[in-house]
Amino acid sequence: MQNKLSFHQSSVSLEIIGLPDYSNDENKDQISIISQWKLTIIDKPLIEGKVEHLGPIMNAFYIYSNLLIKNEIPLFESKLIDIKADNLHIHNIVLKSSKPNVKPLILKIGNSLLSDTINCFDQLNESPKVRIKKPDVPNNFPKKLRYGLIKKDNFLNFFIPPFIAICSLILFSSSFIIFYSPLENIEKKELINPE
Amino acid sequence: MRKSYVSNNIKLNEFDALIRITVEMSKYLYPYIREIMKSKEDLEENSVIWNDFNKRFIELIKERFNMNSIRVKKLLNQAENDEIIIKSLLILSFCISNQGYQKLKNFLYDF
Repeated sequence: MQNKLSFHQSSVSLEIIGLPDYSNDENKDQISIISQWKLTIIDKPLIEGKVEHLGPIMNAFYIYSNLLIKNEIPLFESKLIDIKADNLHIHNIVLKSSKPNVKPLILKIGNSLLSDTINCFDQLNESPKVRIKKPDVPNNFPKKLRYGLIKKDNFLNFFIPPFIAICSLILFSSSFIIFYSPLENIEKKELINPE
Repeated sequence: MRKSYVSNNIKLNEFDALIRITVEMSKYLYPYIREIMKSKEDLEENSVIWNDFNKRFIELIKERFNMNSIRVKKLLNQAENDEIIIKSLLILSFCISNQGYQKLKNFLYDF
């Protein structure tokens, strides 16, 4: 008997079917071995697949949502899924089947369905009942690195202007050496007036 | 950007508190945020919701923000503010999970 867990958010629901890992002394209602998953979006065809497809699809949605927010080109392409923005409000999803001779499934979803889907994936990630390899969400930088970058910016802003000022002062003043040489002038005067 | 003669820098703990409040509010307001975004997807059907929201948004900006600032003027420009509003709503709608606080913080640092 397999366990079923569902995560709902408005018009989207995600169903995870699988078994607990009894070798790890897990509870009966836990899911560690996922055999199937289904993503249901109202008014859209059902999306289902095996465990190896779930991670890449979740990753694709997370990466795409980050690109969308960070003012970068909202386009994600992989072997399994392509997501690109039609405009600011509509997103075009192409799901490619791993089976031969199966046409890709094309879906158009709006921002509301995109956020519902992301929230379903968040619920799955946060659920203590499902053990799943966490997707590598690119905005989860280590804190130190992020603060480091900010500090580096401030450091440069603080030191670069005086550094440039000193360099330009040296360059500017060194050019005067070419125009005027007091020693040469004294020698010339001595030659004109040998007294 | 705000209408104020005193420019105080926000402290880190105040910034954290504001993020927590925003996340909790967006959890509560998610159905409304969703409807506003949905109304823009199909303008012919639900344009009333988007128009009402946009009107109120502009009213609040005029009431509380410094109108001389260029960034505020950009927010009030209807041709340009669609993208800013949609992105802000998207950020809020992505941060309603239990880890929403961390997510919103990351989004704000990268924005």
